Amino acid sequence: MFKPEEMAKIELISLGRYKDNLLTYLHEKGAIEIREVDVKFTQKDVPNEFYRKATSYSISISRLIDFLKTHKKEKGGGIKEFIFPPEKEKKVYKYRGIEQLIKDVEAFLEKVEPEIKAVEGKLNAVQTGIERIKTDIAILELLSALNIEVEYLKPTDMLEIVVGLVERDKYKPLMKDLRETIGNRFVDISKELKDKYLVVFVFLREDYEKANPVLAKHSLERLEIPEGEGTPKDLITKYNEKLKEKEWELKKAKKEAEWLSEQYYEEILFYHELMENERDKAAILNNLARTNMTFALTGWIPKRNISDVIEGIKRITEGKVYINIKDPTPEELDEIPIKLKNLKFIEPFEMLTEMFGVPKYNEFDPTPIMAFTYSFFFGFMLTDFMYGLIIGIVAALLIKGHKHLRDGTWRFANILLFSSFFTMSLGIMFGSYFGNALDLAGFHVPRLLDTMREALTVLEIALAIGLIHMFIGYTLGFIVKLKNGEIKDALVEQLSWMFIIIAVILFVISERYSGFLTPAEGLFVVGFILFVLSELKNGGLAALLIISDFFGFVGNWLSYARLMALALATSGIAMVVNILVQMIWGVKIGAVPIGIAVGIVLFIGGQFFSTAINALGAFVHSLRLHYVEFFGTFYSGEGRKFEPFRAKREVSKLELNLDLKLKA
Amino acid sequence: MEVTAVTEILDTTLALVFAWVGYKTTRILWKYTPYSYPNARIRAMEARLFNEQKFNELAESKTLNNFIINLEDSDYKDYLANISSYDAESIEKALDTALADIYGLMFKILPKRVNPFFKLLLQEWDVRNISSIVKAKISGEPAVNYVIELGTMVPKIKAMADAKSMEEILVILEGTEYEEIYQGLLLGEISVDEFETQLYRMHYLKLLEYASSRKDEEKIILEEFVKLKIDKLNILTILRAKAHNLKADVIKSFLIPGGTINKKTLETLLNVDDLSMALAELDSTKYGNIIKNVREEIEGDLSVLGREFDRYIRERLGELTRFYPLSVAVPLNFILQKETEIKKLKAIAKLIEDGIFPEKIKDIVGELT
Amino acid sequence: MDPIVYVSLGAALAAGIAGAASSFGVGIAGAAAAGAVAEDEKNFKNALILEGLPMTQSIYGLITLFLILMVSGILGGNFKFKNPSDINNIIKSAILLGAGLTVGLTGLSAIPQGIIASAGIGAVAKNPKTFTQGIIFAAMAETMAIFGLVGALIMIVTGVGF
Repeated sequence: MFKPEEMAKIELISLGRYKDNLLTYLHEKGAIEIREVDVKFTQKDVPNEFYRKATSYSISISRLIDFLKTHKKEKGGGIKEFIFPPEKEKKVYKYRGIEQLIKDVEAFLEKVEPEIKAVEGKLNAVQTGIERIKTDIAILELLSALNIEVEYLKPTDMLEIVVGLVERDKYKPLMKDLRETIGNRFVDISKELKDKYLVVFVFLREDYEKANPVLAKHSLERLEIPEGEGTPKDLITKYNEKLKEKEWELKKAKKEAEWLSEQYYEEILFYHELMENERDKAAILNNLARTNMTFALTGWIPKRNISDVIEGIKRITEGKVYINIKDPTPEELDEIPIKLKNLKFIEPFEMLTEMFGVPKYNEFDPTPIMAFTYSFFFGFMLTDFMYGLIIGIVAALLIKGHKHLRDGTWRFANILLFSSFFTMSLGIMFGSYFGNALDLAGFHVPRLLDTMREALTVLEIALAIGLIHMFIGYTLGFIVKLKNGEIKDALVEQLSWMFIIIAVILFVISERYSGFLTPAEGLFVVGFILFVLSELKNGGLAALLIISDFFGFVGNWLSYARLMALALATSGIAMVVNILVQMIWGVKIGAVPIGIAVGIVLFIGGQFFSTAINALGAFVHSLRLHYVEFFGTFYSGEGRKFEPFRAKREVSKLELNLDLKLKA
Repeated sequence: MEVTAVTEILDTTLALVFAWVGYKTTRILWKYTPYSYPNARIRAMEARLFNEQKFNELAESKTLNNFIINLEDSDYKDYLANISSYDAESIEKALDTALADIYGLMFKILPKRVNPFFKLLLQEWDVRNISSIVKAKISGEPAVNYVIELGTMVPKIKAMADAKSMEEILVILEGTEYEEIYQGLLLGEISVDEFETQLYRMHYLKLLEYASSRKDEEKIILEEFVKLKIDKLNILTILRAKAHNLKADVIKSFLIPGGTINKKTLETLLNVDDLSMALAELDSTKYGNIIKNVREEIEGDLSVLGREFDRYIRERLGELTRFYPLSVAVPLNFILQKETEIKKLKAIAKLIEDGIFPEKIKDIVGELT
Repeated sequence: MDPIVYVSLGAALAAGIAGAASSFGVGIAGAAAAGAVAEDEKNFKNALILEGLPMTQSIYGLITLFLILMVSGILGGNFKFKNPSDINNIIKSAILLGAGLTVGLTGLSAIPQGIIASAGIGAVAKNPKTFTQGIIFAAMAETMAIFGLVGALIMIVTGVGF
C-alpha cells in the first residue's frame, strides 16, 4: 500500500531455437514488459514469413467474422446479457511452434473460407443483380415517357444512337452547338422532365466523332439502354418478374449464410484469437536483438514474479540461458513501469488513479486515500438513502455478473458499491429517503441536518471538508518530497500552504476563543512568506503570480462548495418530483382515483431519472475534486504504466507442448 | 437621489447586461455549433488513419492480392471490393475514388459558410489534370496515363484525354473558366509552361479570394493555408528556375502573387546567382527551418523540398487544429492526412507490383511522411 | 413594481435562462455525439455521458425556482410579500429577483460547457483514453454555475429566510 509494486530489470540471452517457445511462454504468462534492446553491434529481430502470414490471416479471418456476424441469428442480448454476460468457453490449443499453428489455421481456412466466400459471393452477385435490375427499371421508367420500342434505341452499323439526360438550361445551347458542328445531319427526340431533358440523338457514324466533344461539353449524362425488346412499359413488367425471382434467391442465400454462421462462428473466433496473439508477438520482435544463433531480450518484471518466471524460462530453454536481474538505478527512474499494489478491496479504485496517470516510482500512490475520500464525496453529493440503495443493488448485481471477467465494468461497479454505502449512511444522517417523500407522506423522519433549510451549515461543512482534504494533499506532498531529498521545494511549495490552512482553521476557532488569534496570525504570516519565496524563482512575473496563485488557492478551496451544491441538487430534484406527485395524487375523474396511478408512474420515473442524473453529477464532480483540487496539491501522475507483454485469451487457451502447463 | 432615478439606473444596467449577454451568446453559438457534428465525425475518422505498424504490415504484403486482403479491415474495403483485376493501376483508381468521396463528405457535413472551399480544393485536381493532359498531348504521349480520376469534372477530363486533336479539347473546355487560357495556348500567345502557371495562378487566386472573404478564425486558417501553398509553389518555381539558370524577369512571370514572402526577399531570390545562394537567402524566412536539415539533399533533388514543405504545411495545420479545435482547421488537416495516406498506399501498391523487397518499400514509404 | 412581479421574474429567469442555456449546451454536444456515433457505434457510451454534462445548470435553475417559490410562499398558495407599500416586502422580493438572475446568468456556462463537451467528444472519438480528461475539462465550466448557486443560496437564506 502507498508504494507501487517493486520492479526489477531482467536481461536474458538464449539460443535462437528456443525463441518461439520462450516468447509464447512469456506471452501467456504476461509478467514482463518488454523494452527495446539497446544494440549497436547486432541486428534487430524481424518477423519471419510465418508471422507475416499470421498478420494477413488475422485480417482475412476478421473479414469472415464480420460476414458471419451480420448473418448471426440474434440470441439473448439486452439488459440481462449486460449484467450477466455469459461465460465463454475456452477451447484448448496445443502449441507446437508457430509453423504448426499456421499450418493448422491454413487447414481450417482451406475448409471454411471457400464455403463462406461462396455464399458471400452468391449474396453479392444476387444483390448486384437486384441493383442492376432496379437501375434498369428506373431507366425504363424514364424512357416510358417516349414510348419508343427499346430495340430501336440500340446503335446499328450506320447509326450511332445516344440516349441521355441534359440539364434544362443546357438543352438549348447544346442543340445550337450541335447544329453549328455537324449541321442538320442528325435526328433528335426530346422530352421535358422535371428539371432535365431526356434526349435521343441519332447521328451518322462519321459525324459522331465531331458530335461527341460537344455532348461532353454540355455534360450529357448518358443512359445505358437495358436489354430486351418491346415498349418500355412491357419491359418493366418483365423486369419486375425478374426482380421477384432474384429476391427469392437472396432470401435463400441469406438462409445459407445463417447456417454457416451457426456452424463456424465460434470456431472462427477461436482461430482469430490465436492469430491476433501471433500478430501481437510479431510486433514485439522489433525490440529483440539477434545474432545467427542467439537472441537477447530485456524488460521489467515485478519482483514477486521473478522466481516463478525464471524457473519457467529455465525449463523451456533446458537451462541454456543467461539471465541477469538488476535492481533499478536512480538514472532509470523515468523508465521504470509502475504497477500499483493495494489491498484487494481497494484495488478497483486503482482505475481512478490510472485514468489520471500513475505515480513515479519514488512517489506516493494516492489510491488508498482516494478510495475513502472519493466514495465519501460521492456519498455527500448524493446524500439519499434510497438512491444509495438503488445504486448499491445495481452495483452488486454487476459485480456478481462480471465476476469471471474482472473487466472495467466490474471495477467500476465495485467503486459504486463502496460509494453507495456512504450515500446510504449520509442519507440517513440527512434524513433523506427519496428526498422528502416520507415527510410529505406524513411521517416524522429523524435527521441531523436538513439540506434545504440548513443549506448554509451544509456549505460550512463542505468547506471544512475541503480544507481538510487539501491539507492531506499538501502533507502527503511534503512527506514525499522530504523523502526524496527535495527539502527546499517541500518547505516553500507544501509547508507554506499547510501553515496557511492551519492558520485559517485557527482563525475560525478564534471567533469563539480569542486566545487563538495570535498563533493564527503568526502561522499565516510564516506560511505566506514561504509561499512568496516559492514564487520568487519566477523573477519578474513573481508579483503577478503571487496574486494569481493565492487566489487560485482560494478558488480551489471554494470549489469544494460543489459538495453542498450537488447535495442540494439531489434533494431539490427529489423534492420537485415529490411535490408534483403530491399535487397529482388527489386528482379523481368521477370515482376513479386516476391521480394515484399517474402519481405512482411519475414517482418511479422521476426518482429513477433523479438517481441517474445526480449519480452522474456526483461521479463527475467527485472525480474532478480529486483530479484538479486534490492532485494539484502534490501529485504529478507522470509515471509509466506497467504494460506487460500478455496474450489476450477470451475463447482460447494455449497449452505449450512441454511438460509444464500454462495458466491462461 | 429619487427612487425613480435608482430604478432607471437599475433597469438600464439590466438591459445592457442582457443585450451584451445575448449578443455574446449568439456569437458563440453561431461560431461553434456548426462545427460540432463534423468535428466529432472527422475525429472518429482520424482514429482510423493508418499508423506506422499498419504501413509496415502492408509493405510486407509481397503480392497485390495480400495487399488488398490487408486493407479489408479498413475504410477502403468497399472501394477495393469491386475492382476487376489486381494491378496497381486499378487499385490506384479505387483509392482515388475513396479520396473523392472524402472531399464529397467534407462538402456535405461542413457548414455552408465554408464548404465551398472544399469544392475549390477539389478543383485543384482539375487544374492538375488539364495541365498534364495538355502537356502529354503536346509531347505526343498517351494522355490517359496521366489522368487522376478526381475533381469536379471527371467526365470532361476523360473526354479530353480521349480527344484526337487540340481543337476538340477547346470544344470541351468551352464555357468553363479554363477556356480563355487554353485559347491563348492554342493561338500561340503563351507557352505550355506559362499555360500551366496561369492555370495555377487563376486557381490559387480564387482560393485566396475565397479565404479572404471569410470571417474570424475561418479567415485566419484558410488564408494561412492558401498562402503556405502559394509560397511552396513560388519557392519551388524559383529554385527550379535557378537550377536551370533562367533569367530573373522570366522567372518573375511564373510567380503567383499573394504569398507571405515579402517583395524584397523575392527580388533578392530572383537575382541571386545559383541554387545554393537562393537557399541561403531563404534561411532568413520562416521556411529556414525546413531547409536547414535537408539542404544537401535539396541541392541534388528539388522534390525533397516539396515533400518537406508538404510536411511543414501538415504540421502547421496540426498546430492550428490544436489551437482551434472546433474550426475548419480540423477537416483541412484531415484531408491532408488522408491525401498523404492515399499517396503512400498508391506507392506501396506500385512498389509491390514492381517486385521491390519489403524492407526497401518501408524505406521509400517512410520517406514520404 | 409590484413585489409579485419581482419574485416571479426571479424564479422564471433562474429556471428559464439556465434551462435555455442547458438545452443549447446539450444541443451542441449532441450534434458532436451524433457525428462520433455515425463513424463508430462504440463511441455511444462515452459520448452520451459527455453530452449529459451541460444538463446540470438547468437543475440549478430549477432548484432556485423552487427555493424562491418556497420562501416567498407562492408554493402553498400564500404569497408573503403582497403589500407593496411595505418597503421590506420590496427589498425582499428584489433580493429574490437578484438571486434568480445570478443563477440564470451563471447558468449560461452550460453553453461553453457544451462546446467543451463537443470538442471532448471529438477527442474521445479519436482516442478513447482521453475520456476522463474530457469530462474534467467540461466540469471546469460548471464551477461558475456552482458559485452562482451558492451565491444565490446565501442571498435567499440570509436576505429572506424560510
